[in-house]
Amino acid sequence: MRKAATVQELPGVSQSKTEVRSQAFAWSDLASRLRPYLYLAPALICFVLFFFYPIGSIIYLSFQDWSLINLEQMEWVGLQNYQDLMKDGDFHQVLGNTAVFTIATVGIGLTLSFLLALWLNKKAKVYGIIQATVFSPHIISLVSVSMLWMWLMDPQFGLLNAGLEAVGLPAYTWLTDPKSSLLSLIIVSIWKGVGYNTLIFIAGLQSIPGDIYEAAALDQSPWWRTLRRITIPMLSPTIFFLLIINTISSFQAFDTIAIMTQGGPINSTNMLVYYIYEQGMDFYNGGIASAASVILLILVGILTAVHFLVMSKRVHYR
Amino acid sequence: MARVVLEQVTKAFQNQSVVKGLDLVIPDGSFTVLVGPSGCGKSTTLRMIAGLETVTDGKIIIGDQTVNQLPPGKRDIAMVFQNYALYPTMNVYDNIAYGLRNRGTSKKECQVLVEEIAEIVGLSDYLKRKPSQLSGGQRQRVALARAMVKKPKVFLMDEPLSNLDAKLRNQMRVELTSLHKQLGSTFIYVTHDQVEAMTMGDQIVVMNDGHIMQVATPMDLYQEPENLFVAQFIGSPPMNIVAAEGKSEHVWGFRPEKAVLLPAAVSAIASEEMWSARGQVVSREILGSDTLLHVETEKGRVIVKADSEAAMQVGSSVTVTVPWEYMYVFEKGSGKRVGRMSGRVPVSTRAGGDS
Amino acid sequence: MYRVVLASRKTVEWIGLLIVAFLFVFPFLWMASTAFKTMPEVRQFPPTLLPETWEWSNFAQAWESGPFLMYTWNSILVAVGILILQFLTAVPAAYAFARYKFPGRNLLFGLVLIVLMIPGQVIFLPIYVQLSGWGLVNTLWSLILPYAASAFGIFLLRQAFMQVPDEVIEAARLDNASEWKIMWTIMVPMAKPVLVTFGLFSFIYHWNDYFWPLIMTNSDEVRTLPIGISSLHMSDGGTLWNVMMAGNMILILPILVIFFVAQRHIIKAFIYQSK
Repeated sequence: MRKAATVQELPGVSQSKTEVRSQAFAWSDLASRLRPYLYLAPALICFVLFFFYPIGSIIYLSFQDWSLINLEQMEWVGLQNYQDLMKDGDFHQVLGNTAVFTIATVGIGLTLSFLLALWLNKKAKVYGIIQATVFSPHIISLVSVSMLWMWLMDPQFGLLNAGLEAVGLPAYTWLTDPKSSLLSLIIVSIWKGVGYNTLIFIAGLQSIPGDIYEAAALDQSPWWRTLRRITIPMLSPTIFFLLIINTISSFQAFDTIAIMTQGGPINSTNMLVYYIYEQGMDFYNGGIASAASVILLILVGILTAVHFLVMSKRVHYR
Repeated sequence: MARVVLEQVTKAFQNQSVVKGLDLVIPDGSFTVLVGPSGCGKSTTLRMIAGLETVTDGKIIIGDQTVNQLPPGKRDIAMVFQNYALYPTMNVYDNIAYGLRNRGTSKKECQVLVEEIAEIVGLSDYLKRKPSQLSGGQRQRVALARAMVKKPKVFLMDEPLSNLDAKLRNQMRVELTSLHKQLGSTFIYVTHDQVEAMTMGDQIVVMNDGHIMQVATPMDLYQEPENLFVAQFIGSPPMNIVAAEGKSEHVWGFRPEKAVLLPAAVSAIASEEMWSARGQVVSREILGSDTLLHVETEKGRVIVKADSEAAMQVGSSVTVTVPWEYMYVFEKGSGKRVGRMSGRVPVSTRAGGDS
Repeated sequence: MYRVVLASRKTVEWIGLLIVAFLFVFPFLWMASTAFKTMPEVRQFPPTLLPETWEWSNFAQAWESGPFLMYTWNSILVAVGILILQFLTAVPAAYAFARYKFPGRNLLFGLVLIVLMIPGQVIFLPIYVQLSGWGLVNTLWSLILPYAASAFGIFLLRQAFMQVPDEVIEAARLDNASEWKIMWTIMVPMAKPVLVTFGLFSFIYHWNDYFWPLIMTNSDEVRTLPIGISSLHMSDGGTLWNVMMAGNMILILPILVIFFVAQRHIIKAFIYQSK
């Protein structure tokens, strides 16, 4: 009874009491209400200018015929750019290359990382040193990594072929043959990324409570069953996260291609971002490049959406 | 220095009232303790005085100024928190000086003030240390020094001793009391511990469920509880409550230390002089000089505090007796105190007691 | 018998560890070794493990093959400039997300998460168009401004700020500190470990970045070190592997030094991404 009365009285009371004060209060109240938005403003303005607006812009640009030479000249062509892309055999190959590269890099890379993590997840200092060693390529510029591997893979003087010859095997073609060039890029990507993935896996393994393993040991669970029934299920959030992140970053592959192969030989290592770059910056096909960008955006967008959906579910179940 | 007045102060969180129309005067220079069980609204009240919570309705006046709209930093108050809330990245000196600097006190004056206060609380040798390098008691002193250096009108303390061990707590209790005497400013102290409240406060405000149950000096609170809640909250163990004889709308209560146990063999007590009930000792807690005896009687289960030397064994048959003048009478529904017994007749000691 | 099995298992594991270490360390050692060789020795078969004559001039040749002092200076300007701007935009934003309740908070934070997920490679074209409209293409601004706010930085700092106990902030309010002051004098110092972590991450990322400067710049005055290094192998005639490797040593040495000094922080920085 009493409570209801106080709550109802409230607005009337605060209005009828000293008016000057309530007005002064309204100002400071307004300021404190606006404060979080003011604090967010600089960052949000940057995001709008360099993220959200460009996303709208790229979709718009994909319906235009335009080039970087003369930005004033734009012509609405509807879906023409997309139709051109669909008809373009090179683009089909680019999509195929991107798919093969992504599946191989993510599949082989994550499997290797997982095995390494199971092995290296130990307390002794050596393991920590090896972890850091395996991780080190990840912080090195892709420019250096690419040039280093170009040198290692050099068909005439490279160390890899020297090694093959030393054990009596024939020299390999590496980057020079369309049959082996994509594989060579996959090897470089895995070498660069395996350390990062291993460390994330180790972080995941360490977050599994130890008593679960003790319980499994008491139940005399063999190691492979422990792995299948306990480790992998408990690690599934980590596995999922790495799948998404690695797939997105494989879609982005650019530096290695630009430095090591320029998409060749015969388009065999051309992938989405490099294709967009070539079309937009070298061939001045702004419309085609924009349409390809939108396709990439959709792919990444789907992965992001899946990631968020699964993450929000996981939050609910916990 | 200033008195603090609360007029019909109400606090609601999402339609849930936590503090319900408090009227309270905290006299200038008093050591006022807000005490009550957890969730009674005592901390919320303190935080409203500090300005850390907005007031849903009502007025808070510090000195001559209504402070409802003033931000905490402008209220001329200082607060000591339960877990000290020291700034972990600053050393002791900067912790103490931070508030002064924010007021624009000059560097020189800062130094004089900080060193003076550090001397008083015994921190002079620790000024360069970070809070993480101090013991619990030293951190407590930094928190105090940080409050004192601002020379506030009012000190607010939110369970400041509850993170200390028992020995240190007793020591700090004494120190805080003497500090209050020395400074002469108004202290408002929140605790859930009635012993702390009784030993430190000169005015105690007992709260329950967002209401004030009683405001009184420690002695009055013990001797003249205005209602069942206060009677049972203050005093350890709490007051025994038994059915009133003759009047069904009343209940009676007596303090465990005022009851006397007689061996069952001694019976036949003139009921004109004391209340009595037969029973059996069911358990015993030895506290040292005193022993608590739980007695299952024909009139309900009661606790009696007895001298350990004369304590009875578990299982012995006894008669519990209470002189009539120590028997309090309460209204059954509202819990309000009606008065005490005089002989077998209740006497209203406080006509229309208002809670 | 059992002991023998144990001992040999241990040996096998040590050999395995050595092989793994070799796979990831040796390429860098090979880079260093090549960087000191003469060109005839580079072409020698079978290759020599260590240089027979130490050819220090490779480094000078790499350094002098272009305006490398300018590239380095630009790299530092860009990486540090980005870091400062990201710090200035992330601190207030993270503070708002961590410490205030306001309408639209979840929606806005969702937007930050989207920015976190979608890479710049997807939208470089419209950004180029936009920057060229403002006349900023081929300036250092075109390398800095698009990265002025970091979703990752906001995300990390928000978590750090949420861990600061309420009482500490309340104590500062009672000490008459304004919100702005609380943010910079209480919160930021308390989040120092996270700031260091994020700073390392951001610096390494932009120091190494090749894609963005390649897109946005076309003249030496505003190009960065990775672009300069990458142009080494396009130089005349046969590839000068020794000069190329020497140039790359210059590029990776600062990062390797930072890695050795702050290894734990760096690993943490990259692992944080997964949280």
